[in-house]
Amino acid sequence: MLNEENHSGAGLARPLVHGIRRRELLKGGAGLAVAAGLAGCGVGSGSEGSKEETQRKVKAKVDGDLVYFNWAEYLDPELIKDFEQKYGVTVRQSNFDSMASMFAKLRAGNRYDVIFPDQSATPRLIAQNQLLRLDHDQLKNYDQVFEFFHDPVYDSGSAHTVPYGMYATGIIWRDDKVSGMTGSWDDLFREDAEGKIYVLDDFQEAIGMSNYKNGFELNSYEEDELEQSKQTLIDQKPLLRGYSTDDVQNMLNGNAWIHHGWNGDVVNVRNQADDPSIYKFEKCKEGIPVGNDTMAIPVNAEHPGTAMLFIDFMLDPENAARNVAYFGYPMPNHGAVEAFNKLANDDPAITVTLEDLENGDQFEPMTGERRRAWDRVWTEVKAA
Amino acid sequence: MLLFAIPLGITLALSFGTTDDFGNAIYGWHPENYEQAFDPLFLPVLLRSVGFALATVGICLAIGYPVAYYIARFGGRYKHVLIALVVLPFFVNYLVRTYAWVALLADEGLVNGVITDAGIRDEGVRFLNTSWAVIGGLVYGYLAFMILPVYAALDRMDPALIEAGKDLYGTRWQTFRNVTMPATFQGVLAGAVLVFLPAVGDFVSAQLLGGPGTYMVGNLIQQQFLGAENWPFGAALTTVLMAFLAVWMILYLRSAARAAREATA
Repeated sequence: MLNEENHSGAGLARPLVHGIRRRELLKGGAGLAVAAGLAGCGVGSGSEGSKEETQRKVKAKVDGDLVYFNWAEYLDPELIKDFEQKYGVTVRQSNFDSMASMFAKLRAGNRYDVIFPDQSATPRLIAQNQLLRLDHDQLKNYDQVFEFFHDPVYDSGSAHTVPYGMYATGIIWRDDKVSGMTGSWDDLFREDAEGKIYVLDDFQEAIGMSNYKNGFELNSYEEDELEQSKQTLIDQKPLLRGYSTDDVQNMLNGNAWIHHGWNGDVVNVRNQADDPSIYKFEKCKEGIPVGNDTMAIPVNAEHPGTAMLFIDFMLDPENAARNVAYFGYPMPNHGAVEAFNKLANDDPAITVTLEDLENGDQFEPMTGERRRAWDRVWTEVKAA
Repeated sequence: MLLFAIPLGITLALSFGTTDDFGNAIYGWHPENYEQAFDPLFLPVLLRSVGFALATVGICLAIGYPVAYYIARFGGRYKHVLIALVVLPFFVNYLVRTYAWVALLADEGLVNGVITDAGIRDEGVRFLNTSWAVIGGLVYGYLAFMILPVYAALDRMDPALIEAGKDLYGTRWQTFRNVTMPATFQGVLAGAVLVFLPAVGDFVSAQLLGGPGTYMVGNLIQQQFLGAENWPFGAALTTVLMAFLAVWMILYLRSAARAAREATA
């Protein structure tokens, strides 16, 4: 250990050179010990909330600015402006790029007013008492929500969430650069598109896709099946440009010709592209993961009243219709049906129906051993 | 010192923890996190990070030394303005600067636009998602950390030494090699350390500019915290990385201390 003491200050100045003095070492050691002791006593991550906290009544009225936490480019910016004007508040926006990042930010203690977990994340949040109960009487537009979602599997009685967009995962591609797409997950492994392929940077989507390609169940965690899926993903790496959930931007800036992506995003790309006709979406015959996003209010939200107003605002049939036109996903809102049918007319591939949600494969909420097994696979794929 | 030690202590304690069913970290005694950290699977990742960092140091030196030399020796009364100009871009957040590079270097981005319009090539060059893009991002991120210590060392040097050297050695190159280089060696070493240590653990460049094959140790750790919900394993990796870097830091400090002693001996 270095404990020389340098007191010769004359001559050359040494911006970085000083012996580690014994006293400072002791101070540092004490600090370390204190911290280790505190940590050992369990002062730290307390992410298990209390049930009572979640049941408190919240009135839908302005109680401050809205702290909004959602995927990027996943809600019409014009609607945000309109909400700000209507209620005289500012919407402070943050984005996450995967459910895992959303959980990480929540776990780190960040306080948001409205979040957008998907149907695999919601049960975990509810089980840990992290979501506020939503009083449907306070939501004037609640009757616009499809019956199907009044008591969904992931949130009994729709007590803590309202549904947002309905999604299906498939492949987005550029017609002007690749031809002969086969409607199969093999399309993500095309050698003639080497260096122009992206896979979603989401462990469930990526491993799920590999499971499908190998003929397994979407959520399989059988050891040999996972091992095989892992190997498929590792073998795919030389063909890939990258792992990313930003399919919209990657397609637009030309980095991607073939992108593992979501149905609505192809509409978003077309809205922003110079030549919309070259962008296509396909679902794959081995299997189609479907699901829906939701809107929810975290239990530690600082402005839950404004959040309730925002949720109600998004449930307004006209606003829902505008949102559908912006982001291309069907919303289970009576006001949005026509808007989506118009989009689907041009491109039936982007449709997700209630039947799909009922009978299709959905990502299951992952906890415990299953989660750890999938995490390990994903870490090994990334590091290989 | 306390502000420094407490997060270290928490990281250390966390590294022995485990996760509950929901992915929340709970403290305990689970040294197997360290076993996992030394899994041979991760060795290439570490070697790659060290390799990138060494390349970054080399390129920063190749660019930074001449810049610092020019400003120190020929800057005259504009020396301070020039050095401020060099440092100015670094007021912009590193993440933002790296994002700017993404926009510049995209396949159909600005630089490729110029290349195809000027007819240099038919199709653009693929800059992004390569190892060199990552190294470029690292160089761009840490260049100032090389320029400043080297500049300080050069500035401090008595120009009379160079005059004397010219008399002694004749050619400019000989003078540089035998007078300037040894005199500024400590500055170069300081710059090298200031660039190498953070570059090894960097994750921003690899995440934004890299591809699936440029995974660095920083990304591995980042993934444990932001993706895999395995904070204890991330903490274990962090501690191992810190120990590895501390070795180099101590070697540097010893070398610098020795040089200081020799200088005043």
